[in-house]
Amino acid sequence: MEREEVKKRIAERFGSKVRIAERSPKRVYVYAENEIWTDLARFLFDDLNARFDTGAAVDDANGVEVMFFFPFDREHYFVTIKTFAAKPNPTLNSIAAYIPGAKWIEREMFEMYEVNFLNHPDLRPVLRADTRPGDYYPAKREVKDDHETVRQRDDGDARADEVAGKAPKGKNP
Amino acid sequence: MVKKIPIGPFHPLLEEPEFFELHVDGERVVGIDITIGWSHRGIELLSEHKTWDQVPFLVERICGICSCSHPYAYVKAVEDLCQIEVPLRAQYIRCIAAELERLHSHLLWTGLAGHFLGYNTVFMWTWKFREPVLDILEAVTGNRNHYAVMKPGGVRRDLPQEEVPNIIKMLDQVEKENAMLTKAILDDPVIHARTKGVGIFNKDQCRLYGALGPTARSAGYDVDDRRDHPIDAYDKVSFNVILCEHGDVFDKAVVRQLENFESIKIIRQCLKLIEDTKPGDICAEIREVPPGEGIGVYEAPRGEVLHYVRSNGGNMPMRHKVRAPSFNNILTNELSVLGNTIADAGLITAAVDPCYSCTERIGIVDRASGGRRVLTEADLVRLSHEKTEALRKRFAEGRENG
Repeated sequence: MEREEVKKRIAERFGSKVRIAERSPKRVYVYAENEIWTDLARFLFDDLNARFDTGAAVDDANGVEVMFFFPFDREHYFVTIKTFAAKPNPTLNSIAAYIPGAKWIEREMFEMYEVNFLNHPDLRPVLRADTRPGDYYPAKREVKDDHETVRQRDDGDARADEVAGKAPKGKNP
Repeated sequence: MVKKIPIGPFHPLLEEPEFFELHVDGERVVGIDITIGWSHRGIELLSEHKTWDQVPFLVERICGICSCSHPYAYVKAVEDLCQIEVPLRAQYIRCIAAELERLHSHLLWTGLAGHFLGYNTVFMWTWKFREPVLDILEAVTGNRNHYAVMKPGGVRRDLPQEEVPNIIKMLDQVEKENAMLTKAILDDPVIHARTKGVGIFNKDQCRLYGALGPTARSAGYDVDDRRDHPIDAYDKVSFNVILCEHGDVFDKAVVRQLENFESIKIIRQCLKLIEDTKPGDICAEIREVPPGEGIGVYEAPRGEVLHYVRSNGGNMPMRHKVRAPSFNNILTNELSVLGNTIADAGLITAAVDPCYSCTERIGIVDRASGGRRVLTEADLVRLSHEKTEALRKRFAEGRENG
């Protein structure tokens, strides 16, 4: 399905609940509200016949941005749908309940960023060893204020250079 | 002592051990639990501490076999973010290196499949045939593996023009040997009996599970990023996307073997077309990476590799997501091993071409007795060899009897 048609169909179906941006002819980004998140994914996958690819998460001060990639192969472009799961308890409905291919990537996002996917068929960590504590989310950053990001180390200590807002010594500036 | 491991999300199935727990009823597999994460190296987190130009050296070490595909997808993500065009000569060099990688990866898998089946001659031959491909890679990139050729904006090394006649000669040889190998495999009745109808994963399941590469194409699920999301020179060359329909182990092998011919075809075209480009013009300059995000995809030997990068305008990615094809393909084992025998389970899980480690093990839960035993890789290979040998004897007796 052509790009313009897809954008039109999404806008018709979800109206003000989505915002559509286009960075290039091959990349369309759809920002969706949490409540229609799974509906949008299913609409792309079932009704518009997009292929499910994978997902990704980006952490920031206020929450976790979660995105899934849906390529339209015959027309050579990607539609990326995005939503925002707010901290302190980022929660979203699971699309793995409908698209089994999303099972592991949602488990990974849960494990790394503490995104709780409701209705996931088997939401348990996918990568971590059994010996690791359940309440530790390695990729999650604790933000102290607007400028400082602190990432916990193995031993639980904060990295001094990150706290100070400096680049680590010996690393590239 | 409980230890915390600060790691970024990464998919280690490609390189190191994974753990499959098979649930069996007698010899039949009735369930499987897959555990991954045994060798998480935190590549994504490391990447966020490297400059844009250093990251290719890191990501080509995600996988020894796909050491061209990961940097390729990464540089495409950066180029998508920066919206820049790569010089034509660099496009051809990238495609040549990437297709050579596909050739050696597919040959490597065929050899391993032969080993699993008990055809060690296939294993030895295939790996011998693979050697000239590595030699060509060395001629093109300077390295047999970890090519260090990809760079945002182009490539690091020009193709030495004087090497081209020798490369073409070696390609002719590889093609001849691949043809012989393909015929030997496709004509063998024992291989047919051993792999046909085994580990079926159908087209509809492929779509639901997001299967990729030869795993998907063997079931007729028509996805190939070289055609669907053509990057660089892929829209300037002609090639066929190889499709089968049954989705079993045999079709997976067929797809890989026939794709080798297509790769050789692409390389030949690139070597011809590169003559019209200007030597030395191999990299576009990227002065700075603007804030924003980029998606890069490339059809690796095992399927689509996806890299996502986000920039805040600094000289390092603020987020770098890597999705290797085995992350999707390994999940297909959830269904493809069901109903098969334990002797076939090793072959089926290997058919998606994950990177196994020598420490691979499979745990067995026997439903009837409730007991638990562990089979080593050697046990699985032995079971597989015994089954092949039984089939071979049965075919031999059939011939003798008439």
